[in-house]
Amino acid sequence: MTAESTSSEATFSETMFWDEAARGRLVFPRCADCAFLRWPAAGVCPECLGRGFAWEEVETTGTVWSYAVYHRAYAGHLKARIPYNVALVELDCGVRLLSTLVDVPEGTDPIGARVRARFQAVGEHPSVPVFIAEDS
Amino acid sequence: MAAALAGSARLGGAIRGRTAVVAVGNSEQGTIPGISSDELAVEGLRITLAESGIDKAEIDGLITCKSYGGFGIDTEIGRLAGLNPAYSATLDYGTCNFSLHLACAVIDAGLASVVAIVYGTNQRSAGNKFSHPLGRQDEASVYGFLNVAGPAAMAFRRHQMLYGTTEADLAEISVSQRRYAVDNPLAIFRDPMTVDDYLAAPYLVAPLRRADLCMISDGAACMIVARADRAAELTEKPVHVMGIAQQTGLRDRQNADQWMRPWIQQVAERIYPAAGIDRDGIDALYIQDPTSIWVLQMLEYYGFVDPGGVGEAFRSGAIGHGGRLPLNTNGGQLSEAYMWGFLHLCEAVRQLRGDAGERQIDGLTTAQYCSTFGFMKAASTILSTEAP
Repeated sequence: MTAESTSSEATFSETMFWDEAARGRLVFPRCADCAFLRWPAAGVCPECLGRGFAWEEVETTGTVWSYAVYHRAYAGHLKARIPYNVALVELDCGVRLLSTLVDVPEGTDPIGARVRARFQAVGEHPSVPVFIAEDS
Repeated sequence: MAAALAGSARLGGAIRGRTAVVAVGNSEQGTIPGISSDELAVEGLRITLAESGIDKAEIDGLITCKSYGGFGIDTEIGRLAGLNPAYSATLDYGTCNFSLHLACAVIDAGLASVVAIVYGTNQRSAGNKFSHPLGRQDEASVYGFLNVAGPAAMAFRRHQMLYGTTEADLAEISVSQRRYAVDNPLAIFRDPMTVDDYLAAPYLVAPLRRADLCMISDGAACMIVARADRAAELTEKPVHVMGIAQQTGLRDRQNADQWMRPWIQQVAERIYPAAGIDRDGIDALYIQDPTSIWVLQMLEYYGFVDPGGVGEAFRSGAIGHGGRLPLNTNGGQLSEAYMWGFLHLCEAVRQLRGDAGERQIDGLTTAQYCSTFGFMKAASTILSTEAP
């Protein structure tokens, strides 16, 4: 795992997550006191209640917990995407991340599948994490 | 990472029989234009007082529930309803069991003796689409994870993988509740529905269909809860609160399997000792059901069916319409009306008092209501016509 502090600012904005995703990296705020990865990002640690943290790049591999396929657009901007899937990926670093699965072979159940992140456009967002089979 | 759940040092039986529901009431449900949410809440109170014959002056506690648009605040509803109660409060997620439990605690603490719990909403007329992301993270909007149907669908897929549950099994829940709703004049959805009808409908968020999801509606509901001695003065048919229990899962997705809501199990372990009544002693069961998945999950966590056994439990006649254990005899939120789960309690009280009209099921002494506040908390109450 590459440990790299990318910010020491006292910010808990998730902007860093999306900015780094646009550069092809997954980063989360790691607690300076107890090393817990805080997600959702927060200026206080839910484990030790400490404040200090640094954004750190993590491995992009994980396991699919489950997924759902939207056939209805619950907001106007989603109409062009239906049907689309949303998945919850349990990253090896411990964070549970919402994303979407791409290149899922027809007729296979992705629950429990090993996956890794790729960075590509989803809707209006030009480069965000999506997940593909780890061995693809 | 597994986040710990708080344990509990509470005493079993702490509130057993010390409070009772003395009245329930509700407005029509559906689309009710031309009236505000708070006015609807007062309308619920007016109907309940009128039907029960209880004088407004008896009310010394008011618990309201925040409604869509930020309405439903006790200070505003108290003014509209002409009340200066000894105690008032608003819960952000007040309906379901949570308002009732607060009322019991308030009464037991001596802050009030007759508490009106009111809720009104005009969210259907006001245009709530329930399309906001449910998580706190922006991921939800980036990936289009909108509506409770998303996490519920994921939880069901996971359940299917673990236990082999089929869509036809899941259908049994909605079909049974629709059958009850056919006999319920208050229900919004009353057209008969078979398992084949269910399966023929398209997916909304696969593997869930329209019939797995409730529809929001306008309406009001009210419940009046009193200290046991006051209850005996106010009604000949008090429904005693035998036990209450809660548990939260506030750490959200930091909890493992959060959308399967495993912390409901903690409530299941606490509620029966709290009430001094076993699961086998429950005559009618009520489960809050904004999605059918909530029914599936709670039937299993509370031990009424084995994991994966939900379809067979309905088909064999163990549970549901015409079965040995009646479940959501009003049609639930899936067929009757949303009302944040308030109407399950109204129905349970009516059934226990023999006031359920064509839907009346004979011989009921106890009822249990199991509910949740989304992915945040769970609660249950056991009610009985017999004082401890």
